[in-house]
Amino acid sequence: MSDEDRFVLCMLAPAVAILGLLVAYPVGLLIFDSFFKVETITPHIREWVGLQNYIDALTSKRVAESALRTLQYSVFALFFEFTFGFCAALLFSAMVGQSRWHRTIFALPLMVPPIVAGLLWRFLLVGNIGILNYGLVQLGLISDPNEIAWLSSEDIVIYSVSFADIWLTTSFVALVSYAGLTNIPKDLLEAARIDGANALKRFWHVTLPLMRPVIAVVVIVRGVDAAKTFDLIWIQTQGGPRHASEVFSMNIYQRMVRFGDLGEASASGTLFLLVMMVLAGIAYWKIWRPVHA
Amino acid sequence: MHRVSRPNLSGVLINAAALVLVLSYALPYIYLLMTSIKPAADVQQIPPSFFPAVISFENFREVLQSSTLPKAFINSLTVAVLTTALSLMVAVPAAYVATQYRRRITTFFLLFALVTRMVPSVSLGVPLFQLLKSMGLLDTLPGLVLAHTSAAVPLALLLMSAFFEGVPKELEEAARMDGCTRFEAFRKIILPIMTGGIAVTALFTFITSWNEFLYALLLTSESTKTAPIVIAEYNSVYGLAWGAMTAAAVLYSLPVIIVTLALQKQIVGGLTFGAVKG
Repeated sequence: MSDEDRFVLCMLAPAVAILGLLVAYPVGLLIFDSFFKVETITPHIREWVGLQNYIDALTSKRVAESALRTLQYSVFALFFEFTFGFCAALLFSAMVGQSRWHRTIFALPLMVPPIVAGLLWRFLLVGNIGILNYGLVQLGLISDPNEIAWLSSEDIVIYSVSFADIWLTTSFVALVSYAGLTNIPKDLLEAARIDGANALKRFWHVTLPLMRPVIAVVVIVRGVDAAKTFDLIWIQTQGGPRHASEVFSMNIYQRMVRFGDLGEASASGTLFLLVMMVLAGIAYWKIWRPVHA
Repeated sequence: MHRVSRPNLSGVLINAAALVLVLSYALPYIYLLMTSIKPAADVQQIPPSFFPAVISFENFREVLQSSTLPKAFINSLTVAVLTTALSLMVAVPAAYVATQYRRRITTFFLLFALVTRMVPSVSLGVPLFQLLKSMGLLDTLPGLVLAHTSAAVPLALLLMSAFFEGVPKELEEAARMDGCTRFEAFRKIILPIMTGGIAVTALFTFITSWNEFLYALLLTSESTKTAPIVIAEYNSVYGLAWGAMTAAAVLYSLPVIIVTLALQKQIVGGLTFGAVKG
């Protein structure tokens, strides 16, 4: 081994050891446990059950419903975060250099801990004292402040809990998009303008295609994060009413903590991990490789 | 407002729209601040009012004199500081060789760190619970530090790699010409010029740990609870003590907001950089 190789290995070793102990080994343990019947109360009793935990998870109605809700939540949150964030970025870049304070204030939610954002939005939406409905009455949008039960109606709760997520991360989308927009060469837009393209056409044929990689990053990073959400929803509803806002990560947590079913929690956790790995794979092919090619 | 150029309609519209947008995003947090300085009884009045009728620090007194929250803040701070120190110690050298000595193993390693960022906390939380239990570290602060480190190291690696990418390889070579070993060149030449990047990375790892909720919920109880757990418990244990809860939420979030606003320029750079790179 050369001197150079030895140096590389020495510098890399502590990080490899930490990630090995705290990520690779636990993931191995997770997969291993998923083939056994294990309970948190008596973890020494292990019974090999093969794929039974997976069959149970994949045929459980509650698991399927929580997976569907995760999708509803992620798509809804991502759609609005992206729309609002991208529009904000377009506005800021249209202000040419006058948007510094706007961007600073707009970035504020980004620094708020998720748990605080969740509590705050619960406080804004909660029945009787939630100020949002009183605001909607003032604006004439609804007639009675108790008309919309944001967090206690089973039909809408999964969307209501995403307001906090949208509020918290729109600015991330806006900042990343703004950075992307400022990198678009001005002469390109100018050339399009001279060629007679109107603002809409310039946006569609110049701005949007050049922003494609940035949009891909935002959608994948935020999409994966939204699908993993636990704390924001937990603090608002603890998954209620009657599981109507129980997302997949919460379902795994409940199996593990409330029912002590380590085996089934591990099987669901492994499935969750696999889905995220597929998304990570897409991220690798679409984003990481072009950057390093 | 002094506008040098003649005010045109679209310019006014853009400014107005931006103002409405920014205000609507700032309002919820301002409402939190306003609520925290209301007397506890006014917090739950119907209909609610945006501004306090009287200013009172009753809610702050209550949470600061409670037996749980000050202790939880100390726990959170301890865990976040130790997580940051441990993560930087292992991630900075690794990120350096991963960017300056590119080879198959380092590329694979960075890719592994990137993939790790996609792992749902709950999937890792289940086996970490068992691992810490078998090590006797369940419900201890060092145990929680290890759990937070599992999330902080990949983040620190990706951020530091982005920063090291700007360092020319010639710098180390020049130092070695002058008689430094590779390690001395890293420690005496490279690290001192990287303090800015290291500071931003440290802040990000600190915030990751400070904000973390799920591992703390799974892995701690009574004496080792961190701030977010105790704040969340105002939900159930004390009924719905909104007044105390808003005050605790302000104490928990405001310091981080002030520090990040002060360092805003560097942070926004680091954030978008980190996002685009990984």
